[in-house]
Amino acid sequence: MTAISPPRAPSTPPPPPPPPRRRGWNSTGLTRLRREGAIAPIAAFAVFFVVYVIINPELLTRFQLQTASNLVVPLALVALGQLVVVLVGGIDISIGAVMSLCNVVFATQLLTLPVPVAILLAVLVGLGCGLFNGFLVAYAGLPAIAVTLASAFIFGSLAREVLDRPGGGVTKEIYLATSGELLPFVPVALVWLAVIAVGLWLLLQRTALGRHIYGVGSNMESVRAAGINARLTKLLAFGLAGVLTSFGAMMLASSTVTGDPRSGDPYLLSSIAAVALAGAAFTGGRGSIIGTILAACTLGLIGNLLFFAGVNSYWQYVISALIIVAVVGLPVVWRRVAFRVKGIRS
Amino acid sequence: MTTVAPPSSPSPSSSSSPSPDAGTSTTGAVGRPSFGSILGRVPRAVWPLVAFLVLFAIGGLIRPNLVTVESLIGTATFAIILAIASFGQTIAVIQAGIDLSVPNTIGLSALAFLALVGPLGPLGAFVAALAAGAVIGFFNGAVIAKLGLTPIVTTIAMNGLLFGVILLAFNFSELTVTPDFVIAITSAKLSVLGISMPAVLPLGLALMVVLQLVLSFTGWGRSLFVVGAAAETARLAGLPVDRIRITGYMLSGALAAFAGIVIVGYYQQASATMGASYLLSSVAAVVVGGASIFGGRGSVVGTVGGALVLAQVATLVTVLNLGSNIQQLIYGAIILVVISLYGRRRAA
Repeated sequence: MTAISPPRAPSTPPPPPPPPRRRGWNSTGLTRLRREGAIAPIAAFAVFFVVYVIINPELLTRFQLQTASNLVVPLALVALGQLVVVLVGGIDISIGAVMSLCNVVFATQLLTLPVPVAILLAVLVGLGCGLFNGFLVAYAGLPAIAVTLASAFIFGSLAREVLDRPGGGVTKEIYLATSGELLPFVPVALVWLAVIAVGLWLLLQRTALGRHIYGVGSNMESVRAAGINARLTKLLAFGLAGVLTSFGAMMLASSTVTGDPRSGDPYLLSSIAAVALAGAAFTGGRGSIIGTILAACTLGLIGNLLFFAGVNSYWQYVISALIIVAVVGLPVVWRRVAFRVKGIRS
Repeated sequence: MTTVAPPSSPSPSSSSSPSPDAGTSTTGAVGRPSFGSILGRVPRAVWPLVAFLVLFAIGGLIRPNLVTVESLIGTATFAIILAIASFGQTIAVIQAGIDLSVPNTIGLSALAFLALVGPLGPLGAFVAALAAGAVIGFFNGAVIAKLGLTPIVTTIAMNGLLFGVILLAFNFSELTVTPDFVIAITSAKLSVLGISMPAVLPLGLALMVVLQLVLSFTGWGRSLFVVGAAAETARLAGLPVDRIRITGYMLSGALAAFAGIVIVGYYQQASATMGASYLLSSVAAVVVGGASIFGGRGSVVGTVGGALVLAQVATLVTVLNLGSNIQQLIYGAIILVVISLYGRRRAA
């Protein structure tokens, strides 16, 4: 029951992804963010962003803004996919393999088919993978972690069956359409991310399905008692996650101008890390879109920051881990200390 | 409630004997309901071993020249290395956790071992590498038990941290010589009962027996299962749940570190990403071995069985020249079959 806040939301739609500018910030929006655990990741991103700009003011030049957003957007999209699965209380170990599969399907189909058809095919493949997982989890009642472990092997092998080495037919035009610049200082990738994020936000916060997704994660039994089809909701959540992952895969294929059957592998661990950093509850029902996007931005840009700071960029792995443990762990320690203090006072 | 592999397990190589023993000699053919209950009473660890034998027989039917002692030893060697890498994972899964830091614990311990052989000597380096694994496990366990972070998130973060440490701390060009000591305990050929096999095979089986005895017969081992099955109940019953969790992850880390040393000894090469393939396959071996991903159930004998099944599939795929993609596809299918079988049984 955590995140079902009333639809009387701030006048401006709260999560416009890139910079957290929120003029119509009223207490409802703040409460929602707090309930969704998004305060810590947003604060972490704000600190990170300020440090980044101080160390490397060049970020705000056109070229670097574009490179940075191309680096971050695929991770952000995949992390959103992972978030939707986590919201219904699952976890998706196969998300990297789904990403690889959509990536190579997109890249190879571009060789022969027109672009919209290739996009449609990639999205359908993502949807199919998601529904496959979702069906086994929701209707066969199998544990999500085990199902997606199995499908990680299956989808990964399918990806290498479609294309066994990097290649494919991604063209310059597609690169420009996804990863170039729309206007000066406005990378197209960020625009796509914003469109998808706002669409996802509307879906999760403004439709029955979205509220059901949050509800199934918070309290499966109550939702079922209320007559909501919990299984169908879970199935659709997995399908939605597959679609989001396919968007991430296409952005990655376009920004790297290749299809690669192993390109999704690193995103398995980093998507889970981003969702964890976003303060989502892995038991389900709690997690915010804006928090996830900003967490993905933080994790994705640490390597760049260290590079510009002149530090060995291998430190990024250590620092990312410490940020995750700190941001996720500190509230726990804080609550425990506060509890003790209260106990002493009374 | 949790039926774990009973004491009968220490002779896994003669695995054909326990299943007819449990299936026929107790009650014989009484009727269908009791047959089902007898099947249910067979320890889970037996099934992967049976599956392995079936696969071995299928291999024999397809290619009769596969049924040789050398072929069996080859498959078993591949399996035991995977099993050693999965023992730590088994311990983590039994206590309702998961250890996704296995890959880079393997890498770190292998590289640390090679780097420390010079200053500390082989035995000192061996102990230091194991201790490093235990320390990694301690931090995993402490964060999970004391801070209450999810095991998945904690161990993913640890995996990333270790990758950074590996890249920062080691000079790879210097770490090419594998000391004789590890070769002697891994890839050197031994003659056991007149059969020549790599030393890692008896080593891994001995480790399996020791671990299974610890899990089945020590208080700590039993309480690990209780913590995995019902942590809150265990807490109410007065078990030191946090301490059991932390020591469980320490053992898990130390076992992964041991796996790193074994792998570097057997393949005689080490790299930063040497453990990457064990991320999913270690969990796969544990799941195929009959452990419950929710905890409270599992055995290292089962894990060895699971690894044998996966290794035999790899052998068959190689013999039939199907390519590694098909092998991965079959791995996925096997995991699906295993979890759907056990899921149904749990519901009944």
